[in-house]
Amino acid sequence: MTLTETRPETEAVAAGDDVRPATQSSAPQWTPPTGLAGILSTGDHQVIGRLYIVFSLLLSGLALTLGMLIGIEQADIDGGFGVFGQANELFQVFGLYRTTLILCGLVPLFLGLATAIAPRQLSASSVAFPRAAAAAFWTWLVGAIAHIAATFSFGGLGSLQAGAARGQSVELTVLSLGMIGVGLLVGAGVIFTTLVTQRPAGMDLLQMPSFSWSMLVATGVWLFSLPVLLANLVVSWVDMRGADSLRFGGGDAPFEMVAWAFDAPQVYAWTIPLLGITAEVFTAAHRSSPKLFEPMAFIVGAFGLLSFGAWAQSFFDSADPLAQDAHVVTNEVVFTAFALAIALVVLAYGGWLAFNAYSAGERPQITPQFALVTLSGALLTAAVVAGVLRVAEPALGVLREADSDIWRGFFDAMDDLEGSSLVTGLMNFAVLGALLAAVAGLFHWAPALLGRPLNAPLGFLAVLPLAGGAILVGATDALGGFFDQPARPYAAGNPPYGPGHFDEIDALGFVEALNVIGLIGYIAVLGGLALVALNVARSLGGAPMDEAEQGEGA
Amino acid sequence: MADIAVGTPLAAPLPRQRTLLVGTVFGTAASLMYFAALLAVYLRERSDALSGGGDWIPSSANVQLAPPTVAAWTMLMSVVTMQWAVYSIARDDRTHAIMATALTTLFGMSVVVTTSFQYTDMGLVADESIAATLIYVISGSHLAMIGIGLVFLLLMAFRALAGQYSSRQTDGFVAASIYWYAVVFVYVVIWTAIFVLK
Repeated sequence: MTLTETRPETEAVAAGDDVRPATQSSAPQWTPPTGLAGILSTGDHQVIGRLYIVFSLLLSGLALTLGMLIGIEQADIDGGFGVFGQANELFQVFGLYRTTLILCGLVPLFLGLATAIAPRQLSASSVAFPRAAAAAFWTWLVGAIAHIAATFSFGGLGSLQAGAARGQSVELTVLSLGMIGVGLLVGAGVIFTTLVTQRPAGMDLLQMPSFSWSMLVATGVWLFSLPVLLANLVVSWVDMRGADSLRFGGGDAPFEMVAWAFDAPQVYAWTIPLLGITAEVFTAAHRSSPKLFEPMAFIVGAFGLLSFGAWAQSFFDSADPLAQDAHVVTNEVVFTAFALAIALVVLAYGGWLAFNAYSAGERPQITPQFALVTLSGALLTAAVVAGVLRVAEPALGVLREADSDIWRGFFDAMDDLEGSSLVTGLMNFAVLGALLAAVAGLFHWAPALLGRPLNAPLGFLAVLPLAGGAILVGATDALGGFFDQPARPYAAGNPPYGPGHFDEIDALGFVEALNVIGLIGYIAVLGGLALVALNVARSLGGAPMDEAEQGEGA
Repeated sequence: MADIAVGTPLAAPLPRQRTLLVGTVFGTAASLMYFAALLAVYLRERSDALSGGGDWIPSSANVQLAPPTVAAWTMLMSVVTMQWAVYSIARDDRTHAIMATALTTLFGMSVVVTTSFQYTDMGLVADESIAATLIYVISGSHLAMIGIGLVFLLLMAFRALAGQYSSRQTDGFVAASIYWYAVVFVYVVIWTAIFVLK
């Protein structure tokens, strides 16, 4: 027999013979573990998806609590309320807010929805690599817990002053963020592979449901972004392992090296699935199927392409003053062009939604998810408008050269937006808008995810604080930028803020009032998330739907 | 039994779900992006250092071109043996497929040995300069990439020994070869960007 022949037992099975040994029939049957052991060892995509959703919502709540603490401190900018003992603690929480909100909250929430829903949308039995999906989830979760614990153990992504942070905790913070990145990358790979290979015969990529298409684009962009984040972290970590940090591991360099991930254009990349969820919920509310799907798919693809931001790393701007004008990334033509182009893409997407609403010919069915996606679209629009304002100064530089007298007043207002809290507003608009869309997805797919629908009146009750709070948080930060409130609310020094750091803020009292309103926004979003959690808990207590109704939900 | 008309083609086989291939392409693209980011940092820092009129690699270090060149040629030879393995498995020649995989593994291991020799030979202290830090990060990451590639190759070889791969199912070998070609490509770029340009 050569090695290329079919194995004997296969032939026997093909011939219909029972080749099992006689003793096997009496052997005890293997039963899958239940309870905690079952959850820990599961490869069921539904369970993994639910785990992602539960933990990412919890961590989003934690992130918003951190944002609230920063908000309390900023309500009295020059004095501070003493929530943080020193500037370095504010810096730690400032970094942790971003990493937790985006990499522990938003992105895994989308991955969880996709892990649970995408196979059902493709009529597949599971994701492509179920065990890799489970490994990705646990890697991400352990990384997230370690990241938060390390930051609170005098760690963080660097430190503002020598001795303000514990070296080993900083190293663990960096390593655990890398672990989060690896987990998300593997999870994205599983979803990408599922969407490419698990489609039924005859369904091409452009025939996938909108959410699946947006996840394909999103995981594609994350594939190119997350490895860059990992490379930054590895360089930081190796540098801080040396006797003296040379450039990448000292001071606040570890945070500044990854800051591009929380700034435009990359911040849009984390929100790509918002477009898919919005399309599905919007057309479902109009009781129609998406019309002109291909243009929409192109728009989502263009949004993904323009949101790739790993190249926009201002940490590597040249320190040489002579070379600086040419090398400051946020002043470059490409940076400006991307910000302007992505605004046009969002405008086109709005046009596509309007066309679908018009061609449906009937009023939409107002549901909590419809309200949420409408408001999340408004938040995304606000984010790209903030992005356009941010690049207004370099974009209008040509006009400045042409006639400075006419435009001077306008330019003066635009000049200082770079580096102001407008950047924070942009991030909050985009990320909280995407969080709203993810919650809308939770409502929309609740029958498939939980086996039960969510309560609509309670859902409407959650919409108001969620959306209202998100608007307040983003708008107050963005508006503060026009009064020269800096994007970084800290400076080296002790206590809280460095002397002179906030001297340039115009109308300090007004900015502080804005920050109080922003603080109320954080509290409202937290309250909205609590109402969503209550809704889910209440729903789980009800009777499950039958299988057919659950399938329709996907 | 119903008659079958002469010349009627047999029903087309169901297309295979190329899950492993697509997953490997995803992982390989991620690896390439990781190295692209590292090399971008390296070249940017090098450019800044040189434009400031300073040295890039410390003059005390002895960074020779010969060991990385030997390693680069070894990697290039492994492309041939890797393709030999894919060619053989596609023709049900499992003996040659395993032999070629073993040779590829050997080439990979010899690059690890060459790099280790170079580490001891060049006298570059990791925390002495930015250049040293980045060189160790990049070459160390590549060693890890080789390690993953070797595990992948050995896994495919064992699965071939167990009869899982044949002309009807070559995905595992093709996937391993895609990853291995990326390993070789990255080394050639490292060789050029770090050791030739210095």
